[in-house]
Amino acid sequence: MNLLRLVSASLLLAMLAACATPSRYPPPQRMPPPSDSSGAPAPWPASGESRPDAEPGAGSVAPEPEPEGPPPPRTVAEASGPAVVALLGQADTKAREGQPEQAAAYVERAVAVEPRNPFIFQRLAALRLDQGEPEQAEAMARKSNSLAGDNPYVRAGNWKLIAEARQMRGDAAGAAEARSRSQVYLSQTRGR
Amino acid sequence: MPRKKKKKPLYRRLLPYLLVLACALLAVGAVYTVFLDFQVRERFEGARWTLPAKVYAQPIELYVGQSISRHRLTDSLERQGYRQLANTPRPGSFSRQGSSVNIHSRAFTFWDGAQAAERFRVSFNGDRISGMRSLDRETDIPLQRLEPMLIGSIYPTQGEDRILVKLGDVPPMLPAGLIIVEDRQFMEHHGVSPKGILRAAIANAKAGRVVQGGSTITQQLVKNFYLNNDQTLVRKGKEAIMAILLDAHYAKENILEAYLNEVYLGQDGGRAIHGFGLGSYFYFRKPLEELQPEELALLVGMVKGPSYYNPRRFPDRARKRRNLVLEMFRDAGFLNDAETTRAQNEPLGVSRGSSRSTTQYPAFIDLVKKQLKGHYRDSDLTEEGLRVFTTLDPFVQETLEEQVSSGVEQLERRGDVEKKSLQAAAVVTSIENGRVLGLVGGRDASYAGFNRALDAQRQIGSLMKPVVYLTALENPSKYSLVTPVDDSPLQVRQPNGDIWEPENYDRRSHGTHVPLYQALVHSYNLATSRLALEVGLPRVVENLKALGYPGEPMAVPSLALGAVEMSPLEVAQIYNTLAGGGYQTPLLAIQAVTTREGEPLSRYSLKTRRAVNEQSVYLLNWAMQRVVREGTARSAYNRLPSQLNLAGKTGTSNDLRDSWFAGYSGDAVAVVWVGRDDNKPGKLAGASGALPLWSGIMAEIGPRSFDPPRPEGLEVRELLLGDDRFRGSRGPNSVGGRDCSRAVKVPFVEDYVPDGLIDCSEQEERGAYDESVTSPEERRDEDDSNWLRDLFR
Repeated sequence: MNLLRLVSASLLLAMLAACATPSRYPPPQRMPPPSDSSGAPAPWPASGESRPDAEPGAGSVAPEPEPEGPPPPRTVAEASGPAVVALLGQADTKAREGQPEQAAAYVERAVAVEPRNPFIFQRLAALRLDQGEPEQAEAMARKSNSLAGDNPYVRAGNWKLIAEARQMRGDAAGAAEARSRSQVYLSQTRGR
Repeated sequence: MPRKKKKKPLYRRLLPYLLVLACALLAVGAVYTVFLDFQVRERFEGARWTLPAKVYAQPIELYVGQSISRHRLTDSLERQGYRQLANTPRPGSFSRQGSSVNIHSRAFTFWDGAQAAERFRVSFNGDRISGMRSLDRETDIPLQRLEPMLIGSIYPTQGEDRILVKLGDVPPMLPAGLIIVEDRQFMEHHGVSPKGILRAAIANAKAGRVVQGGSTITQQLVKNFYLNNDQTLVRKGKEAIMAILLDAHYAKENILEAYLNEVYLGQDGGRAIHGFGLGSYFYFRKPLEELQPEELALLVGMVKGPSYYNPRRFPDRARKRRNLVLEMFRDAGFLNDAETTRAQNEPLGVSRGSSRSTTQYPAFIDLVKKQLKGHYRDSDLTEEGLRVFTTLDPFVQETLEEQVSSGVEQLERRGDVEKKSLQAAAVVTSIENGRVLGLVGGRDASYAGFNRALDAQRQIGSLMKPVVYLTALENPSKYSLVTPVDDSPLQVRQPNGDIWEPENYDRRSHGTHVPLYQALVHSYNLATSRLALEVGLPRVVENLKALGYPGEPMAVPSLALGAVEMSPLEVAQIYNTLAGGGYQTPLLAIQAVTTREGEPLSRYSLKTRRAVNEQSVYLLNWAMQRVVREGTARSAYNRLPSQLNLAGKTGTSNDLRDSWFAGYSGDAVAVVWVGRDDNKPGKLAGASGALPLWSGIMAEIGPRSFDPPRPEGLEVRELLLGDDRFRGSRGPNSVGGRDCSRAVKVPFVEDYVPDGLIDCSEQEERGAYDESVTSPEERRDEDDSNWLRDLFR
């Protein structure tokens, strides 16, 4: 019977997910703490014509951190309202309990509350990576980048996730490129 | 039943042999009784009913910082059958306390688990939630989810629908009231009540007509449960035997509970409303446990004749019956005199809805069914009592319905538009999570007919143009927002030998040097056609598909001007990708499906895909905002506040057959189509037909401003555009003698900023217009630089 099949399939999936890679929760502090040493922004790898599959940031120099104005938020707690913080906290609990889909559902509720919060999409990317879905992980991380403005903390974390996703897919060169991008943003965060 | 046909003539013809046959009949009767006994037990003990899937709206999520007015919140609560009561004594009630609202929510089993009923206070600061506090635990809470509204069922074309209730969970006045009104001897009799029949006979004889039925509750249940509606003596006999058998086998409580769930309470198109559980939602939009004496009395009274006492069609009749039942309640001691009078003075309280059909939102439910198809068999959906959690936002949906129906009527008030000729469809989606928030398939949203939002395939006209400009902007070495494009007449010989010769809407050319964004803002056909041919039609088709169009359009020149047919929902998918910065999120109408008991079966998770380059989409969105600010859609700001940023595009097909507008705010995409079902010209352009409806919808749903985050690798120049180039000034904003107070911020891809612009973002002039311009490598040819010099002189 169709229903039975569905139930057993979802049970099987849940069991598999529980046996999969150890959960990355509680959320690792992906962003390094701000340090006082000021590092100059590293040169941005120049890319040519901007095509659909080209990386964003076709410019020749990494966006310069603007010294004036408040610094960008470094963590989801700094960036988000209490409702999102609460939902992501519940998502973490579910992820730790080995229920990644339940966790994703909490994160999606957070998307509905703050649809343009890049940290929420970053969390979805991390969840998808945990679930062994590198394509969705990379897509979510890039979506997060597209909402990140000039926040190097978010971007560094996203490129690190993209590197891991590409590694999972067996794309070593792509992973290395993503890692180096992550490094560029990391150095920017130290500059702050 | 063949048995009946055989027996009837036998009995009459063989009357003389009655004595002989008596013995035989007795034997047959005994066997027959055993057979009936088997029937009674089998049906009563097995799965008594098949249950259609229940469809729920998206739950209201309340959180600190949310932009929602107090009025809109209490409206939403009332839509879900909440009652305003002091001190919120029970689930399903709320009260106003100064500038805050106290809510007692209902317990509910969501797909992700059970949520208890909760008493909490919502405080407002203007039209924003400033705080929330649990009244039970005395702690601040960051967010609270309300139970979702039940919006419909998935039932076969003709069928019964019900929500099962347990005797122990219903208000005690309901079963007690049923016994008082329908069968006073229920607790004493053995299935049939000779006393009751006698009393009914006397009452009927006195009145000269049938005023009382002699059937017991048990007999009524047997009639509904096992028998057809024939009024024959044989059936009556069979009914009596089965009622006695039922009473012998089962406790009164079980019989009463089955009756509560079986009884017929009304008709909704092809759907028969059975049982008090569904009856309560059908007439009052709230759970049975919350019904008040007058509401219970109405339902109890309706058992006698659900169509005759239909409170939506015959409110006076229904009220008389209700008040009579309330008096019976009083006489039985359920209510005192004061309570009875109060209840009798209450309005009927029936939720609105036409008498023809009250299934809410049929077009949306249609979409839900389509998305479920392939995942579930029809019988799973109509029989297993599944629970389907959808993305529908009842507030958005009702706004959409009102705006579409009133907007179309408004359009038909225009002299040249034939009355009752127009049809319309509309879709609203949430951008970042791709949820369909509302969907209307026709001007009368309650009519479950042809669903134009899903099934009407109409030419999209200029809604196609953004895809052409996106394709051009993907190549920054050739195209920026201010690159001149050629709007002079053109002829294209097609492979079949025909000549394709597009024309502008105003039937004239706007010259050979129209800035690229202007050609989109004013929807120039000639410039767009030339551009599409320049960038290559296969690339345009590729992008259309990348944005989410599932079809295979022909790569012909007229495609650039919208010679492709789509449904409003397909358009919404494409524009949702543009609004989402180039990330395609498949539109979803369902969030999750669970079993009747709440076990999750499937979840429809948020997915995304980088469809096109972020930078190009950002540039395109800049131009699409100017469509609304100064272009073909500027009349939108007649309805909407000017500080709100919006982006969109008008669309008009040949001979004004289709009028479209597709556009977005910071959080919602709305697509509106207006036209005629017979595909005759509706005589409305996109700006005059669909746009006013769109503006009305956007104004009502209260959107966020569209301020997309700027991707990396872009820079912004403050330029003088249009006539401002020629306005001289020596004031503080002057740059090189130009007045920079009206400069416009235009984004460019870094390293591809054309020279020769009058740039107010720098203190000195950049690329001095009055000196000879040095031609950089990126410059396409000498001709263009001459043009730039001309344009910005």
